[in-house]
Amino acid sequence: MKSLAVLSLFSVFTAVTARAEMRDAATHEELSLQYRKTSQEDPMSKLAAAKGPDPSTANPMKSLIGDSEVLCFNGMVTLVPKRAVLQIPQNLADRLKYQPGAKLLSWAQFYALNRGWITTVEVSRVQAAGTSAMSEVTQKQISKSANLIVATYQAGPISVLPLKVPVETTAKIPQS
Amino acid sequence: MKTLRLCIASAWCLCGAASAAETVTYVNYIRQFQMPEGITWDASDIVADNGSKLSSLEINPGGARFELWTMKSSSDTGLTKYPLESCYVGTYIPVAMVKIRSQDNSSAIVRTRADRPFYVDVTLSGLLNGATDPEPSKSVKFLRHVQSYGVGGTGVGIDRSQATLLSQSSITTNGTQTLTYALTSIPGANRSKIRGEERFSVFSLEDYQAPESQIAAQFIQVWPVADGTISGIANNQSIKFTLPAVTLALNDLYPFSTTYAQVYKGNPVLGTSGEIVPGSALVINDSIPVSRVLSLTNYDSVFTSDGRWTMEILTVTPFGTDRLAYISFDLDRTINLNTTVTTIE
Repeated sequence: MKSLAVLSLFSVFTAVTARAEMRDAATHEELSLQYRKTSQEDPMSKLAAAKGPDPSTANPMKSLIGDSEVLCFNGMVTLVPKRAVLQIPQNLADRLKYQPGAKLLSWAQFYALNRGWITTVEVSRVQAAGTSAMSEVTQKQISKSANLIVATYQAGPISVLPLKVPVETTAKIPQS
Repeated sequence: MKTLRLCIASAWCLCGAASAAETVTYVNYIRQFQMPEGITWDASDIVADNGSKLSSLEINPGGARFELWTMKSSSDTGLTKYPLESCYVGTYIPVAMVKIRSQDNSSAIVRTRADRPFYVDVTLSGLLNGATDPEPSKSVKFLRHVQSYGVGGTGVGIDRSQATLLSQSSITTNGTQTLTYALTSIPGANRSKIRGEERFSVFSLEDYQAPESQIAAQFIQVWPVADGTISGIANNQSIKFTLPAVTLALNDLYPFSTTYAQVYKGNPVLGTSGEIVPGSALVINDSIPVSRVLSLTNYDSVFTSDGRWTMEILTVTPFGTDRLAYISFDLDRTINLNTTVTTIE
């Protein structure tokens, strides 16, 4: 099978050779000369110029590891978004630390193998945004659970922001 | 409710060969970041490795950013993250696509060589032009970044925030524009030994709910021009009897290439087809350039007669055939016996 792959690769090259002209490998001197000519003709100069700082450094991708909680147990590890873990019983606290050599699994695979100590709680978008509180029943279930609780939305782990408490004001409303 | 179509491309990471005992696994991650509140949702398990699906988490007026990562887990080196793609979507943010083309179509990651051209197609749709339309709906920023991998570098673990912004432009019209680059502009003292990448990206303009965010991007890897030397036979050497052992030093062979030594009778003439020297063919199908040293012995069979011969190293790539080195020498394997016969009467 491998020899077939090599043969097919070689036949591709043979076809290329038949079509292409042979030349000496380009040297630094040749490329420097060509580069000096081409660098004066920037194709982007035909577009309207833009100014400002580099947006890719001002708003970079988040760090996947830095923005995640690690769940690790029995030689397996998975990542969930930060704030997705709602409850950590003291006896399970060490399972939020990466153990060197652990095999990375997707959340679905990891959860399927660790249902004994992980419980999920489905939340709505507004609950995840912290604009609506979870039901009292759910809150009781979370606080009394001996399992580690992970918030999910459509079975995918989701961060839950702190509940936004309406700001109380002491200012008096003027009477009309 | 507004939903978003998630498009996930399968990705293969470019990593060095793992040691025999090393256990390596890869897991793809898709994260959706809601703006401006900052909810993070892990949508990794709802999309197949190579497929598409509508996001079930509705997009707010502030938009959302989608990030695609591959995570490597190694029993030797632990966890390593590879950011693959990022895309911001919003109510009136235009849709952009960046496609880079080169003469090498053999790899999932677009790549070319330091002496070859490449082409960038940037396509915009959904740009508005009304007087009352918000600014981020009427224009986008188009950026070009370059980043060197350094001498011998392969790009693994590179910090892309260190890339240099070479130029930036505004695009205000829908449609496709093609930019042609004859050569890369990645910095490097030796222009034939450039290793690095060029990234072209489209960013939205800053809005009251979201900063300038990446809508689309693609990068192209640029690998060095190969070089080689033939040692063991000097140029113009006269060789009698057995041919000496020859060493071929091959540097920076293109990741998709076949390299071999050939011989033919006469002085060097570019484009001549000769006999391949036994043991000299090297087929490379990798993700990074390769350097090798080959020792050739007992290859006399390709020399069919005495006289002037030329040996060349050729490398065949998607860009054509390049001659890396050549020597000529004189071969004389015939033994002449000069004798005299005398008789005594």
